[in-house]
Amino acid sequence: MRLELQKITKQFPGVLANDRISISVDKGQVLGLLGENGAGKTTLMNILSGLYRPDSGKILIDGKERIFRDPAQAIDAGIGMVHQHFMLVPVFDVTESVVLGNEPTKGPLGSFDRATARAQVVELSKKHGLHVDPDAKIESLPVGVRQRVEILKALYRKSDILVLDEPSAVLTPQETEELFEIIRGLAKGGTSVIFITHKLNEVIAVADKITVLRRGAVAGETTPKKATAAKLAEMMVGREVQLTVSRSKSKVAEPILQVKGLNVLNDAGGLAVNSATFEVRSGEILAVAGVQGNGQTELVEALTGLRLVDSGTVVLEKKPLHAGSPREIAMAGVAHIPEDRNRDGMVKGMTIAENYILNTYHLPQYSKNGLLNRKAIAAATEQAVKDFDVRTPSINTDIASLSGGNQQKVIVAREFSRNVRLVIAAQPTRGLDVGSIEYIHRRIVEQRDAGAAVLIVSTELDEVLALGDRVAVMYEGRIVGILDAKEATRERVGLLMGGITK
Amino acid sequence: MTKKKKPVAAARAKTITTAPAKRTTSVGDGADAQQQLVASRVRAGLFALFTLLSLAITNGSAGVEGKFAFWVDKIGGTDVSFSVPVILLWAAVTVGFGAMAALQFVRGASFRWRLAIGLISPFLVFALLARLLDGTTANLTVFFTSTLLYAIPVGIGALAGIVSERSGILNISVEGKLLFGAMIGSIASSITGIAITGPIAGAIFGALVSLFFAWLGIRYKVDQIIAGTVINIGALGVTTFAYLRILQPYSEFNRPIGITPIQIPLLSDIPILGPILFSLSPFFYIAVGLVLFFTYMIYRTRWGLRLRAAGEQPNAAGTVGIDVVKLRYRAMLIAGLLAGFAGSYISLSGTGGFGINTSAGQGFIALAAVIFGAWNPVYAFGAALIFGMTSAATTLLSGLGVTIPPQILLSMPYIVTIIVVAGLIGRVRAPASAGRPYDQG
Repeated sequence: MRLELQKITKQFPGVLANDRISISVDKGQVLGLLGENGAGKTTLMNILSGLYRPDSGKILIDGKERIFRDPAQAIDAGIGMVHQHFMLVPVFDVTESVVLGNEPTKGPLGSFDRATARAQVVELSKKHGLHVDPDAKIESLPVGVRQRVEILKALYRKSDILVLDEPSAVLTPQETEELFEIIRGLAKGGTSVIFITHKLNEVIAVADKITVLRRGAVAGETTPKKATAAKLAEMMVGREVQLTVSRSKSKVAEPILQVKGLNVLNDAGGLAVNSATFEVRSGEILAVAGVQGNGQTELVEALTGLRLVDSGTVVLEKKPLHAGSPREIAMAGVAHIPEDRNRDGMVKGMTIAENYILNTYHLPQYSKNGLLNRKAIAAATEQAVKDFDVRTPSINTDIASLSGGNQQKVIVAREFSRNVRLVIAAQPTRGLDVGSIEYIHRRIVEQRDAGAAVLIVSTELDEVLALGDRVAVMYEGRIVGILDAKEATRERVGLLMGGITK
Repeated sequence: MTKKKKPVAAARAKTITTAPAKRTTSVGDGADAQQQLVASRVRAGLFALFTLLSLAITNGSAGVEGKFAFWVDKIGGTDVSFSVPVILLWAAVTVGFGAMAALQFVRGASFRWRLAIGLISPFLVFALLARLLDGTTANLTVFFTSTLLYAIPVGIGALAGIVSERSGILNISVEGKLLFGAMIGSIASSITGIAITGPIAGAIFGALVSLFFAWLGIRYKVDQIIAGTVINIGALGVTTFAYLRILQPYSEFNRPIGITPIQIPLLSDIPILGPILFSLSPFFYIAVGLVLFFTYMIYRTRWGLRLRAAGEQPNAAGTVGIDVVKLRYRAMLIAGLLAGFAGSYISLSGTGGFGINTSAGQGFIALAAVIFGAWNPVYAFGAALIFGMTSAATTLLSGLGVTIPPQILLSMPYIVTIIVVAGLIGRVRAPASAGRPYDQG
């Protein structure tokens, strides 16, 4: 089916989220919808899926105008959404999740006809090559498989138009490649696909047509053949963007962080980090690569004091830190940019200023006798907001109301506000837009150049290769290899990530 | 969940210097499995403790006879009595607990401990009774019937809690609805003079209160705990006021046509079992029917699938076109009907009609049964029966002049619930979104 959106406008209090946006996608076509966070992509998709009503504008399917009052009507019209945050019930199994809302029933009480449902799911997953176990509980499935369940959900509802909102945000490179295969297969079968993302190389890889959004409006249209990553980035951000991190050669000096035989347990009591031994030296960036869930999270939590060290030593400039509290570690000169900023990086509901002093409030310049020195806090925060280019109406704004990029800037500003000897950055740019990524990377490199040691953990191979002076690869809790930047090619690191050490 | 490190630097430093120890890994596939294992170990320990305790009591019970009696044909009719050495009862309980501890330890999380507790409870209560009575004869027909009857308001109240919480509304207002149901049921029955109008009016009024509660929680997103507390306190205030100002001075409004026990043909003639199981208030049979019906509805039907989806992940339901708001209102309507109906039993089964605070906390015990029963109607009804037994035991003992503070037995449901909620003896998993308002979009 052909879907056309004409001049869709949606106004929220204070923001024009969608400003006369027109896009279209043909049968069997893959439309890449590119835009930074806050460009209006998600609002547009919520309008398309019936969650919001547009203030003005039209939705046409095969040339006929359709109005969606609720999600059920959008589903009936053949629009299937795969949301960025999966809409699945963790305690349901795959069959129940796929058919929920359109369940086959029998009998006068509306008994759920499980056998039929299961058969339908099996058939559907065979037909489209989406392999899932129909009886597996959702909560036991890895993210990549959950996404397949989401796609099955849409196909089960006979969606002719499949909308994927930032589908690769939670996927590993391998899973992303698999997803692209699925998308290509679906398009070949006549499904129209709208692929929403902020990742430039992804739209180039998978889309037939690219529409770029910027600040709620269409900034341009192109095709992957005509487009280059640089050109797309410029359209998306509105100015020229440096895609590679510019950095001088590292001036490596004495080791700052020394980790020896570190064992860390995961929540289940299994060994998550298995005798990790490495050091990070002053003036270098050690990038830790690896597929998500191979012990990186536990490594970072152990180094920052959020998780008990089972055995082994962690020494920061001769000071043992493996038994330190998070505060002791922070005060020793460790800056921590956490993997999940919503959980470990900030307190939503508190202001920017309060978040800024979250781990330094006890210092004499911010508080005395248990009373906060509001003036000093405000002054320091004002300065930080200026230095780090945080876009906010005021330092007394709730941090939850900032965009992801600006939230991350506040966190980085806070962590770099102390004496920094070691930076531990876990997925520092996850979910951020190009402009913010560029900015955060630059700030981290600045710390390195100032003589700090930097440990970056990332599942994005591009980020690892762009930033690492050395690249360590984690696989099943072990550090299976440490390569110099020169040796660290995509292929070699990729093999190590799969546990192949030759 | 991240485990927070405790500042025990000195102690830690010691263990850290030891060589990397070989770890037994793969105890399960995640934090849940680990937690479940711990919980099952705690349970095994508790059972072992009970084994020792009952062993000690066994030791001290030599020579005491436990004397029990049953009425054969009807309550107050001919009776048959028998006696058992108390030491034998306690030996059986000891063996039972020992077996539970062993099985729990060996089988871990897969051991069906709820069932085991259900099976051993009657023996335990017997043994306790026999020991406390110390030679006095106890009539068990009354004991069992009052256990079953006590489970009526608690069991149906628990069902109301389950239906609403499965839909995502944390329903602590069951107590208030019981009270309203009791009062309105009594008034309606008194005015019309038709017995059946009592339960119907109680159920309808319960539904109205429930919809008001739902309206606060869904439309205005009032914190559901606070809204529920308001209803509970409000119900006590309103019904007490109405009782003092209306029902007491004009007592014709509080003389309901009682709903009397029914004799089920043939079955009620079975000796001993007949008077216990088949000569009860019709409310009991309705309660059992409701429990079975809702168990089927929740786990086996489309309605149930959607209900659970709304209570776990309302967004997942909303995005596939299910109207979560409407679904929750409907669930609350059903919960209100059930709670109001349960309340009417309290004032219509006895002789006194409605009295001040006549529900006496049974709505809260119902919530305890919801948790103890892990949001499953059958288990919750089982919990209601166990709680009922403690109540019946208290009544029996005080009737026979055995003086132990009744509060001790009566507080059992709450103590058990606290232990269960703390997740120590068994992980219960509440519907993930119970208590959270639904925001579309």
